Amino acid sequence: MSHAQVAPARPNRLRAWLPFLLIAPSVILLLSLVLYPLLFALKNSFYFWNLQRSAEPLQFIGLANYKMVLSGPEFLPSLTNTLILSVTGTIIEFALGLAVALLLANRLPGMSVSRALLILPTTIAPVVVGFLFRYMYDPAGGLAGWLLTLIGAPPPAEGILGSSTTALAAILFADVWQWTPFFAIVLYAGLLSVSPSLIEAARLDGASAWTMLWRIKLPLVMKTAVIIIILRFMQLFNTFDLVLVLTKGGPGLSSRTLGYTLYQQGLVDFNIGLASASTWIIVIMVNILVTLYAAIAFKNWEW
Amino acid sequence: MIGQNTATRKITLYALLALVMLFFIGPIIWFILLSIRPPSTAFTMPPVLNFTPDLGAFTRTMVDPGDNSGQAVNSLIVAISAVLLNLPFSVPAAYALSRFKFRRKKFLMLWYLSLLMAPPVAFLIPYFILMTNVGLSGTYLSMVLVMQTLTIPFSIWLMKSFIDEVPREIEEAARIDGASGWTIMFRVVLPLVMPGLIVTSMFAFVFAWNNAAFPLVLSSQRTATLPIGTLSYFTNTGVTWGNIAAAAVVAMLPPMIIFLVFDRFVVRGLTFGAVKG
Repeated sequence: MSHAQVAPARPNRLRAWLPFLLIAPSVILLLSLVLYPLLFALKNSFYFWNLQRSAEPLQFIGLANYKMVLSGPEFLPSLTNTLILSVTGTIIEFALGLAVALLLANRLPGMSVSRALLILPTTIAPVVVGFLFRYMYDPAGGLAGWLLTLIGAPPPAEGILGSSTTALAAILFADVWQWTPFFAIVLYAGLLSVSPSLIEAARLDGASAWTMLWRIKLPLVMKTAVIIIILRFMQLFNTFDLVLVLTKGGPGLSSRTLGYTLYQQGLVDFNIGLASASTWIIVIMVNILVTLYAAIAFKNWEW
Repeated sequence: MIGQNTATRKITLYALLALVMLFFIGPIIWFILLSIRPPSTAFTMPPVLNFTPDLGAFTRTMVDPGDNSGQAVNSLIVAISAVLLNLPFSVPAAYALSRFKFRRKKFLMLWYLSLLMAPPVAFLIPYFILMTNVGLSGTYLSMVLVMQTLTIPFSIWLMKSFIDEVPREIEEAARIDGASGWTIMFRVVLPLVMPGLIVTSMFAFVFAWNNAAFPLVLSSQRTATLPIGTLSYFTNTGVTWGNIAAAAVVAMLPPMIIFLVFDRFVVRGLTFGAVKG
């Protein structure tokens, strides 16, 4: 009854600080976990340091590591492969996912069970997906090779993963298998929110199925789509576990990605200086991509 | 005429659906079959399907000598600890982001999100050296700590979406009744978002369970998790496919069960609460 009068000024001031007190622990923990690696990499990117030769940085060498990364033989192929993988992967997964979502939106008996089961590929750890496809792609009796031969498109003699023409596509295929269901299920949820009366009105106006897709359904699922597109694009951009299990970037550099090059420099060659320079180059690229995308895609969001 | 049309339409749709399911679920079944088939049939084409199931690979990987059973326990310890450590950090933050208006909120939300888009490989070496320097390398704690860069941002986004759904009026009513902030948090808000708390925890568990990058550099022989265990089969000479498949099936099952049980929340979980589903 009287608490409004009794309530002293202190709780009000506390209340003003409350949001910051509640948020601070998460920000402090995350900042320390993220800043340490970034600053560590920034400092050591200017040093020559190979962990196999010394436990400490050996010598200040200015920008030499950056020069070496950017002019190294791996950089351009890695960047190209990474962009191919992330752009085509996102597009294929979105398009196929939308097609599956439209199929599920018919809501015939049995489709809701199918929808529930469809998520299974997405739940699997990428490393395990790598094993699954290594088994399928095996040159000596893998299912994929047998099926390809059956339909008259036999895989290269070196094997699907052993040929420089198919290795990157094979990684892409495994990723498309794992993540198309993710797009399908999220876009399906978006399609459900399209009101049936709107569809009915368009049909009465004589709109074709194609027009309805492009003019009504797609614009309405775009808000859903913006977030999953950037998430998937960035995950693909950073892919390395799938590459590690399937091809180790080979044969040659044919399936090298930026993530795998970084892995190679740091955890195979133990060249910390070089890996640190790569880290910063990748971090800058990721930041530019995310900022650009966020500026466009999240413009009209309410928070 | 129309009836016939819808009949053909139905048949076409079901045929398409069958194709879709075969494409996406078939490989999983094929891999599970690998774990129970006699090794001699693993690479026989055309596929051999009438074999006597053999659970030997599961016995070898999980019971005797059971190299992977300890790793399954490690995976459980790491994933559960990662979830438990993340809640006291993420739930209060999610509450503040849901309930208060302040400047830079959008920036903060996007900053959390951007952590989920960071390239994990870039952090591996610094974490390895950091954890070695502070003497934590090879411990569960080292893995659990760095996994917070994934679980905390994820849980904040997802929990915020659940707290958003609790009407503020309920809290106002409790406040007028004289309840303190703590009482409101623990007696009013948390019980109401309990389903959200469970869903968030389960999905964060899957994030941590499936993570292979951090244990790759931070775990020791004794603390290696299941993905690392399966990975180690490949560096050895002579790949035993049955064993890999058995260990991988054990690694696959918990996330699959969690996603099927929380089917209703899958869309929401996978989009960090941004899409309600």
